[in-house]
Amino acid sequence: MNMRRFVPIAMLAAAVLASAEDAAPLFIRNAVIHPVTAGEITGSLLVKDGLIAGIGAKLAAPKGVKVLDAKGAHLYPGMIDSATVMGLTEISSVRETQDASELGDFNPQLRTIVAINPDSEHIPVARANGITSVITIPSGSIIGGQAALIHLDGWTWEDMAVSRSAAMHLIFPVLSGGGGRRGSSIAGPSRASFSETQRRYEEQKRKLGQFFEEARRYQKAKAAKPAGFKTDLKFEAMLPVLDRKLPVMVVASRERAIKDAIVFSEKENIRIVLAQVREPGATLGDLKSKNIPVILPETFALPLEEDDAYDSPFTLPNELFKSGVLFAFGTFDSSFVRNLPYQAANAVAFGLPQQEALKAVTINAARIWGVEDKIGSIEKGKWADFILTDGDPLETRTQIKQMFIRGREVNLENRHTRLYHRYLNRP
Amino acid sequence: MKLLSNLVLLDLVLFAPTCLPAADIVIQNARILTVTKGNLTGSILIRDGKIQEVAEKVLAPPGAQIIDAGGQFVMPGIIDCHSHIAAESINESSISVSSMVGIEDVLDPEEISIYRALAGGVTTANVLHGSANAIGGKCSVIKTRWGKDARGILFDGSKPGIKFALGENPKRRGGSTTPGAVLRYPATRMGVEDVIRQAFTDAKFYQAAWKDHAAKKARGEQVSPPRRDLKLEPLVEVLEGKRLVHAHCYRADEILMLLRVADDFGFKIRTLQHVLEGYKVAREIAAHGAGASTFSDWWAYKVEAYDAIPFNAAIMHKKGVLVSLNSDSAELMRHLNTEAAKTLKYGGLTEDEALAMITINPAKQLMVESRVGSIEAGKDADLVLYDKHPLSNYAKVQKVLIEGEVYFDRDKDVSGRAEIEARRKALNEKQRRQRRPAAPSKPAASRRPV
Amino acid sequence: MKKPTLRFITVTLAAAGLLSAEVPGVIAIRNARIHTASGPVITGGTVVIRDGLIAAVGTGAAIPADAWVVEGNALSVYPGLIDALSRWGIPGAPAPAGGTGRFATPPGPSPLADPSPGPAPGPTPSPATTGPPAMGPEDRPSNTSWVNAQDLVRSSDRGITSARSAGFTTAITYPTTGIFAGQGAAINLAGDKPGQMVVAAPTGLYLSLNARSFSSFPGSLMGVIAYIRQVYLDADHYQAAQKEYAASPRGRRRPDYDRALEGVLGAPRILLPATRNVEIERMLRFAADLKRPAILYGGHEAYRSADALKNAGAPILIDLKWPEAPRELDPERRDSLRTLEMREKAPGAPAVLAKAGVRFAFYSGGVERPADLRGAVRKAITAGLTEEQALRALTLTPAEIYGVADRIGSIEIGKIANLVITDGNLFDESSKIKFVLIDGVKYDPVTEPAGPAQGSARTEVVQ
Repeated sequence: MNMRRFVPIAMLAAAVLASAEDAAPLFIRNAVIHPVTAGEITGSLLVKDGLIAGIGAKLAAPKGVKVLDAKGAHLYPGMIDSATVMGLTEISSVRETQDASELGDFNPQLRTIVAINPDSEHIPVARANGITSVITIPSGSIIGGQAALIHLDGWTWEDMAVSRSAAMHLIFPVLSGGGGRRGSSIAGPSRASFSETQRRYEEQKRKLGQFFEEARRYQKAKAAKPAGFKTDLKFEAMLPVLDRKLPVMVVASRERAIKDAIVFSEKENIRIVLAQVREPGATLGDLKSKNIPVILPETFALPLEEDDAYDSPFTLPNELFKSGVLFAFGTFDSSFVRNLPYQAANAVAFGLPQQEALKAVTINAARIWGVEDKIGSIEKGKWADFILTDGDPLETRTQIKQMFIRGREVNLENRHTRLYHRYLNRP
Repeated sequence: MKLLSNLVLLDLVLFAPTCLPAADIVIQNARILTVTKGNLTGSILIRDGKIQEVAEKVLAPPGAQIIDAGGQFVMPGIIDCHSHIAAESINESSISVSSMVGIEDVLDPEEISIYRALAGGVTTANVLHGSANAIGGKCSVIKTRWGKDARGILFDGSKPGIKFALGENPKRRGGSTTPGAVLRYPATRMGVEDVIRQAFTDAKFYQAAWKDHAAKKARGEQVSPPRRDLKLEPLVEVLEGKRLVHAHCYRADEILMLLRVADDFGFKIRTLQHVLEGYKVAREIAAHGAGASTFSDWWAYKVEAYDAIPFNAAIMHKKGVLVSLNSDSAELMRHLNTEAAKTLKYGGLTEDEALAMITINPAKQLMVESRVGSIEAGKDADLVLYDKHPLSNYAKVQKVLIEGEVYFDRDKDVSGRAEIEARRKALNEKQRRQRRPAAPSKPAASRRPV
Repeated sequence: MKKPTLRFITVTLAAAGLLSAEVPGVIAIRNARIHTASGPVITGGTVVIRDGLIAAVGTGAAIPADAWVVEGNALSVYPGLIDALSRWGIPGAPAPAGGTGRFATPPGPSPLADPSPGPAPGPTPSPATTGPPAMGPEDRPSNTSWVNAQDLVRSSDRGITSARSAGFTTAITYPTTGIFAGQGAAINLAGDKPGQMVVAAPTGLYLSLNARSFSSFPGSLMGVIAYIRQVYLDADHYQAAQKEYAASPRGRRRPDYDRALEGVLGAPRILLPATRNVEIERMLRFAADLKRPAILYGGHEAYRSADALKNAGAPILIDLKWPEAPRELDPERRDSLRTLEMREKAPGAPAVLAKAGVRFAFYSGGVERPADLRGAVRKAITAGLTEEQALRALTLTPAEIYGVADRIGSIEIGKIANLVITDGNLFDESSKIKFVLIDGVKYDPVTEPAGPAQGSARTEVVQ
């Protein structure tokens, strides 16, 4: 289908659409600019060579630029989802469309970036709600591979890559003997015995420790440059982790697992980002003092235990904020990425300051992934990843009018808008 | 409130139900979203559980309990037309026609999901059988009267329903590739139609046998009655318009198929559930008179949901279908208000239209609109107080009333948490002390896969 | 004490191979404290047993000249204890539990499929849990309602000895496999042949609510309930059809014979599982719906259900396996307050029921060692039940519930001589069971080895 056939509902200037004209500098005036890292400015934004070249209330348009009158629209940085399976999972119930989970316990050499389908229908759908970048994670039993940070625009995955390797994904072994069935039954039979669970857990932890030990031996052996040294792809992929160059995204939900993960990270001297944190309990102080950032799972979740406060998943982000922990949000999905801002907003209803919620889907994510010099806020010198909206992007009713990624306007049409127009007009 | 209700459940239930509502209650200083009669700032007078008066100024009768809303928003209690909470089993998946089973038999009024839904503003829920069968089990409409028993949560006077299901789910067990799996007919959408047609053919025959019996008896003949068949009786009720059909469906083809089957047998589909491709056949749905109860924006979780679009509700609504938004999830159920807000975004509906999708529209679909679904005099005082406009993502529920009785109060919930935790801890420690020393572990008990 | 004399008698009888045919002699226990269960405690009283029956009881009862006399000083005499819902006597039967709605745990050795050699009593139908998937109630899945406990009972069942040693003389024992598991029987826990053990049968139809599997009807709790409901409708219809045919067979097609319905129709009452309050209320409604007299079993949360039970007039059997924290437990597991409360309060349920006037009896349920049963009853006493009420719930009340109080359950003239003789208060931890009498025959207790009851041998009557 010809993408250009449909005129975007709220296109402000037709001229900016054509990619051929992208090279020309763009001047957006009369916008309410929300830099996120600074106070709001009503004024103009200059985009040059895909970068933000100027912001100001009284910024004047240089000669030869294309001028776009925002007519009072709000300008925000594009949002970042810190954990998705975007491009890897198309239809979650169809195995053939899933590429997130490989066989084997330890696969640090796997790279999600190479399996991201740039034509996934999920990409434009997420974009339409203001998401410009996502982290795409693998799964798998223990070390699943390398997560990528991508732009939601590009002809190929090479075009899309912001960081081909943004983190190593590790699902920390969990000692879980409790929990209950959904809706919680009373006095139901217990599942695997605790000692059995404990045995499995210890075994997994032992395997993990051993893998790291072997990787270190490999590192040493390689440094010695012996003759006939043969490259091992798995251990080779571990080197940036061991050198603290690549953070490890550690999935750990509850207090005990988080404690374990922290102990492990200190023993192995690695940088970690905790993911899927649901019940940090007493570890909050450690997360703050040890500068361990957190990727929160969907806040639209049920409490873990029957007696937990009904709103415990909703209040968690504010708890992290009050403890001074750096955090961002993830959807851990592909079809719900578009709801990332609403997840953040839900935390606002339960105490998180709105500005902090906004940061958690923009600049905090950029900081956690080490790209705060490029994305996550409207600042001079950063990539021109931004959206124009008719209001607060965390509110559902707000419409995203236009999106720019690296200064290029991105089409907000998608499978859904196309089907909408087609069937709305069905005679 | 959850705490208090829990304590009531555990301690006081022998002596008294939760506190009875005052005869008269006035909610003052509220921004009232009636849904059907516009918005106003004013008061609501509640008498004997019913809304007595809604006006800018209401004369509070002496002795009335006053709830000062402090300028907050009041909307009708949310109605979820598709839920699976409060039931101990959901699916009788062994057979393709399981109409003999019913949710009412397995209601669990103590399931915590009820309280959580209540805390999300839901006061009425259509508790449906699962979707494993072309013709599933009987459904129950409940009110989230947390603390009441299984009878006490039933929506008295609501019309009985039954679940149908089309597409991938009912045909799944016919196409299982698991070695040793017992294949169950049907394996295709064609077979799903066949199962439904066969069942209603049987039901007509059964209906005729009983009619014949009744006629003979009326003539004074000595005849013994036919065997009662609990599978066919609900289908006869469907044929006679006494039981509402709630049909799980996705694709346009199967939606149309079901409408035509119903046309052929002379009954109506009351609601199409999920109906994610309803937007493609909205005209046909409207012509049949079926309601549509859909997700706001779920898609791509299976092949038949790949053409699902968040504009579905808006298109169907614009083409004359009675549309509601449902949860099908104990979690999503907690924030149907923001689900409704998605129709503002996707398709540009008005605030009233959006709110109607979780209040008066599902009420109509369940045929309980004379009782619930809007803030109007004469209706049940099922009300939700929000601190902000309920279509804002920043809003949270403060209080929920059902028939004038406060069933959820956020302040009480929050202030009661410490006590419940202290009590839980004390008992837990005591019981762990009493626990006998560890013995050799036993193999895991078999658990039902979810 | 005259114990040696008595032992001599029984052992001699056994050795002579005469026991099964021999009538016990005359026994008199005098100057004992007699807890009749039906009336006040008699101190310094005498019980006379003749031909296996209670011939006299009271302070003034005359001691026959031909009696072996037991000096009762410091002894207490109680009616033999009754396990109101049991698997004793049926080798390999899984313990009846009160839970509902989950798939049946893989059935232990089914009494119906027991491959062990020896004279298998009664019919051996195929087990209810195999075969092709059932497609509806018409296939009568999991239905062996025609199976009778009395036909499955084996006097050699090893559980009998340990039960007897714990003071139990009678069990209302049931087949427990399947949804319609089968008919129970009241059996005395001694006898040379199974036939001698039976006190009354059938006592009721044991129903469980265990779903079968996803692929075989019924696959859910609501499926099981619907199935049972249809079976009862079918049974009524079947009965009417049979009657009609019997009245005038000519010109009529004969109705099919259906053994699954025969069993259903032959049951004097049904037993329904109900542990939680929600389940108790649900099963009370269900029983009313089925229009069958019902006994509920489970009862751990019955402290919340007293009113409902009272209003329905339904008796409930309380599982003496009180809920408790699992033996090994994740230290960080957070059990819900509901679960904790039920563990805390379950032993208090009998006291609540007694106070409300609800008829209840105890059963061994999940208690593996009969020797632990008295301890479990003591918990109920600690939680407020009087000893008199506890005794009644182990004797006369179960007899009444099952309509056999005309023969067992109390120490009254003419009843079967099932007695427990202790050296003190039955419910004191320190008191010991000296011996029991079953049908007037004396059995000494056997000290049980630690661990689950098995392997204990009969010392008195050797086969």
